[in-house]
Amino acid sequence: MKTRVILFLLLAAVAASAAVLLFQGPKARAPVARITRDGVLLEEIDLDRVAEPRSFTLEDGSGTNTVQVERGRIRVSAADCPDQVCVKQGWISGGAVPIICLPHRLTIEIVDGGGDLDGAAG
Amino acid sequence: MGRPVKGAGRITRLALLTAIALTIFLAEAQIPAFTTVPGVKLGLANIVTVYVMFAMGPGDALLVLSARVFLGAVFSGQMMTLLYSAAGGLLSWCVLCLLGRLLTERQIWLASPVAAIFHNIGQLLAAAAVLRSWSVLAWLPYLVIAGVLAGLFTGIAAQALLRRLERIQK
Repeated sequence: MKTRVILFLLLAAVAASAAVLLFQGPKARAPVARITRDGVLLEEIDLDRVAEPRSFTLEDGSGTNTVQVERGRIRVSAADCPDQVCVKQGWISGGAVPIICLPHRLTIEIVDGGGDLDGAAG
Repeated sequence: MGRPVKGAGRITRLALLTAIALTIFLAEAQIPAFTTVPGVKLGLANIVTVYVMFAMGPGDALLVLSARVFLGAVFSGQMMTLLYSAAGGLLSWCVLCLLGRLLTERQIWLASPVAAIFHNIGQLLAAAAVLRSWSVLAWLPYLVIAGVLAGLFTGIAAQALLRRLERIQK
C-alpha cells in the first residue's frame, strides 16, 4: 500500500517535470538577453537588433566570461572557471533554460521583450 | 536490521564504508557527463549512504556521508562544489531519516529516489542563494526526472546489498 503511494508520487513528480519541459510555451517573440551577476543586472541586449556579431568580456574578482552575441542568440564562448558548464551549453535563443556560471555567479536569461520595447522604439 | 556494532568494530566499519563510498564517488566522477545540465549523474556512492542509514542508523549515515562529501570535494579538486553537495546531502539525509521510520525493510529501495529528488532540490536552493536569482530552478524538471531514474537504480542496488550483507553477518 505504502509502496504504491510513494511510487504514485514519484510518477506524478516525473510527469509534472516532463510536462513542464514539453510545454514551455512559444519562444520569445522579441528575445531580450538579461545578464546578471549576484542578481544585479549588468547588461540587457535586444537580440533581434544585434546587427553585427560581437563579443565582450565580463570580469570580476572571481574570473572572466567572454560573451558572444549574434542576431537572435547568445552564448558564453570562453570562461576561466574549472567546470566550463556555461561554455558547454552553447547558444541559447529562447526557452526556459538560462546559461548559468555558478563559480562566477553569472546568469544569462532570455526574456520576452514583447510589445514594451516595440512601443518604446515607436 | 543488523545487530548494533559498537566501539572499535563500529569505527572500523565506518572507515571501511567511507573508503568504499569515496572510491565509488571518484570512479564515477571519471565518467564524462552526458548532458549539459549540471548535477545529472548516477550517484552510485549513495548506495553506501542508504546502506549505512538502514544497517547502522542515521547518525552513522551522516558521518559517512559528510566525510565522503568533504573528501570527495578535496580529492576531485572542486572545492566550489562542496557547498552544493553539502546542501543536497543534508536535505536528502533528513528525508532519508523520515522515510526510515515510515518504510519497512522490504521497501528501502523506495527511499532512494525520494532522497535523490530532495538532494537535487537542496543543491538548486544553494545555487539560487549563491546566484541571488531563481533562474537555476529552470534545471529542476531535468533534475527531478534524472533523480528518480538514478535513485531507483541506487535504491534497488542498496536493497540487494542489505539483504546479502545481512546474511553474511549472521
